Amino acid sequence: MTSLDEGLLQWAVDKALEVGASYAEARYQRDVTSGVILRNARTVGVGSEVREGIGVRVIVNGSLGFAATNTLTREGVERAVMAAITRARATASLRKTPIEFSDERVGRASYEVAVKRSLGDLTAETLTELGKRLTETINSSVKEVKVPAVMFQAGTRLQEKLVINSDGAVIRSVVPRVTAFINFVLAHPQKGTLQRTVEKEASGGAELIDSWRLEDVVSEEVSNLEKVFLKGVEPPKEPIDVVVGSEVVGLLVHESAGHPMEADRILGREAAQAGESFVKPGMIGKYRIGTKYATVIEDPTIPGSNGYYLFDDEGVPARPRYLYKEGIIYEPLHNRHTAKLMGTSSNAAARAMDYASEPIIRMSNTYLKPGDMSFEELIEDIKLGVFIKSYMEWNIDDMRWNQRYVGLEAYMIRNGELAEPIRNPVLEITTKGFYSNIVGVDKHLRFYPGTCGKGEPPQGVPVWFGGPDVRLAKIRLGVIA
Amino acid sequence: MVTALELAESVLKRLEGRFDDVAVLVRQRDCVMVKLWNTEPSVTQSWIDAKVSVLVSRNGRVFSTELSVGDPDAVDNALRNVGEILTKLEPSEIYAPLPELAEFKPLEGLVDQNVLKAMEEPGKYVEEMIDAALKEGAERVAGTLVFGRMAKALATNKGFRGMEEGTEVEAYLRAFKGEFSGHWAHGSRVLDVNALREVGRRAGMYATITNSKAEFTPGKYDVILSPLVVGNLIDTIGWMASAMAVMMGFSMFMKVKPGDKVGSEAVTIIDAPRDTELAKSTAFDDEGVPTKDKPIIKNGVLVNILHNTGTAKKMGTESTGNAGWLFPTPWNLHVAPGNVKSEEELISELRNGVIITNNWYTRLQNYVEGIFSTVSRDAALLVKNGEIVGHLGRIRIADRFANLLSNWELATKETHKIRWWEVETPTKAPYALIRQVNLTKPPI
Repeated sequence: MTSLDEGLLQWAVDKALEVGASYAEARYQRDVTSGVILRNARTVGVGSEVREGIGVRVIVNGSLGFAATNTLTREGVERAVMAAITRARATASLRKTPIEFSDERVGRASYEVAVKRSLGDLTAETLTELGKRLTETINSSVKEVKVPAVMFQAGTRLQEKLVINSDGAVIRSVVPRVTAFINFVLAHPQKGTLQRTVEKEASGGAELIDSWRLEDVVSEEVSNLEKVFLKGVEPPKEPIDVVVGSEVVGLLVHESAGHPMEADRILGREAAQAGESFVKPGMIGKYRIGTKYATVIEDPTIPGSNGYYLFDDEGVPARPRYLYKEGIIYEPLHNRHTAKLMGTSSNAAARAMDYASEPIIRMSNTYLKPGDMSFEELIEDIKLGVFIKSYMEWNIDDMRWNQRYVGLEAYMIRNGELAEPIRNPVLEITTKGFYSNIVGVDKHLRFYPGTCGKGEPPQGVPVWFGGPDVRLAKIRLGVIA
Repeated sequence: MVTALELAESVLKRLEGRFDDVAVLVRQRDCVMVKLWNTEPSVTQSWIDAKVSVLVSRNGRVFSTELSVGDPDAVDNALRNVGEILTKLEPSEIYAPLPELAEFKPLEGLVDQNVLKAMEEPGKYVEEMIDAALKEGAERVAGTLVFGRMAKALATNKGFRGMEEGTEVEAYLRAFKGEFSGHWAHGSRVLDVNALREVGRRAGMYATITNSKAEFTPGKYDVILSPLVVGNLIDTIGWMASAMAVMMGFSMFMKVKPGDKVGSEAVTIIDAPRDTELAKSTAFDDEGVPTKDKPIIKNGVLVNILHNTGTAKKMGTESTGNAGWLFPTPWNLHVAPGNVKSEEELISELRNGVIITNNWYTRLQNYVEGIFSTVSRDAALLVKNGEIVGHLGRIRIADRFANLLSNWELATKETHKIRWWEVETPTKAPYALIRQVNLTKPPI
């Protein structure tokens, strides 16, 4: 199934053990991407990328070493093994305690995402045609404003992995993905500009492109945003009920539940760059972060998802994890290292971006649990409120506490119904402020794609984040300065 | 092992004659990173690999690919069907023939033998950084230290041949004391142990600068930004200076043109590919155009948008030597220093306001309008009557780039070589004093 035989990887593992490693792991990974970029319906770039190589990870003298090579011969792999061993050994004396991994049941497994249509169907020609149609749709959807720039990017990604480690794991996987990205700028002589990005990505085959109904999506977006752009007013200044749309909720749970529940952050391993976490080990299973609606689930096993996998890169079987459960901080994401440190088992969160990256704790698909109300029921008793459907700007601090989301498509709610558009409402709130003010969630679970960045050097991995529309009580919104 | 140029020539030989334009760019690396966690190494990572990038065109139809392989046969194999693919494409809007051969002046001194030696014994330099932070009173540190050797070679069917080898050092450290922290970063081509100690010292200094906390009310403040923060924000501005960012609607320079005033007279930002102290210094760009140092903004006036030959042709100008085949980018950035003799003197000039020593997560609501926010991390300090009175915690700059550039008033004489996660482009930047910056924090 994968392009590389097990033999070379097993040889690498054996070689590392022979020269002193107490643990060894060799991962072959091949990531093939291809795609097109258009500007205003004209081709700007067509290209592809192949990243293929082997990453070797070892524990030697209690020190963790990683080395990567794309010379896929015994000589090349041996050089990587020796670099991992000798350079880890060279810093072993600085360690006060040896690095150890938790004991896990690992085994032999193989899986592949089935596609209805081959990725090969999404040729440059096909994607270019799609980009032209979408640009035409955007241009024909506006009434008064100009569209000075439309960027369209789309392509395919095929990821093959083979992981072998000295504890007996042999895991093969093949995950194809399809991606589309559209950015447009609306311009008006008096109002300035408005900018929006629409993104789609999921695991599967060429069939995904049609299933996304991109022409309908951008047509509706452009039409609605033109109204927001031309007629939007400032949001109310007093505290009001705010309904946060699933697009914002998805990102928000990724940032304020997913990241702070990564055990490597909790323990400080990512302190220098990605930061630490407001969550401390003693809070797990005890600390109330929100109301009963605050249940956030992390699940790599969702079929068709962007963060899909069934075994992590340490060979541990994947399963859903409840990060927050009914308002309580519940279960962090672990790899075998953090699991050992915290006296528990790994829940299979170790993932590497490519062959040249060490596996670290990553999210996959993170979402807030939906309820059973309709959207209409969620807002029906709001006399005066705001609905924030989409966003552009966001950020959060390095403890995952203080965050900001600036709405793009947004509306007043008056007497239980959506009313006039508003421009750039700012939801600036703490993590506890958000989860402890949830008073209702609707039943519409929607997912949105992202590339989550973390690690040194930076690793971007595909994820989904999602949730229902969420109602918050008495929130004071800000405005763009 | 074949050199990067031999590999590039070998690939070129197999492709030229089949296309109108062929460029082969090879990048090889051998580098090591020690990552620190709780004052000890968490992992030591090494990379020994090569990337081959190929650009081909026929009748204005362009295809580019990047392959992580070191074998010409594998490249040939990967490009087997490109001729057929090209026939089905439309001409690229930004196609321009690869430039005719131009002589370039090689850069000297890109390799520091001390960096090559340090790759095999990074531990002792890690200790230097740690010790410097602990001496300042820090309780624990986290960070990374990278030593590397990179080679870059370009061969084109217009006869260009160029190869550069260089070393790199990148270091950053975060020091903690109780709930407070400090951070510093350094990036260069040479091993300077004092600079590594300074990373530890400054991180430790900011972690321990005060034990007090101060109350914060959102509003407009006069602000001193450290070279890390200046570097991060200028990185975004440098990226937006790319002609492709302008064309795609991802730039505050979409609404202005060279010659327009975009900031105060104190603002000068230079793209500096020929500064051999910084890690992306290079004598030729990815199309074989000789590089040159040039201002992006000079004394507040936009001077240059950054071009490759394709964007330059589209916009009716000349390449600035900043290819990127698709996306021109700055190589290294200089933010011009000011006349203020020291950081202390700058704080005296500030009198009342805020010092932000580090930031991350800069995101834009609208690139064309330059509306953005970014979050402080580590020390954000309240200054009253020229004295630091306490930590403000994590606050946010939420403003427009145009305002920051217009309200830029003073900068220190000394600049610092900065490179880390949040400052991707190697940058020399001073401390800067900017008036009336909008700062926020959540109400709940």
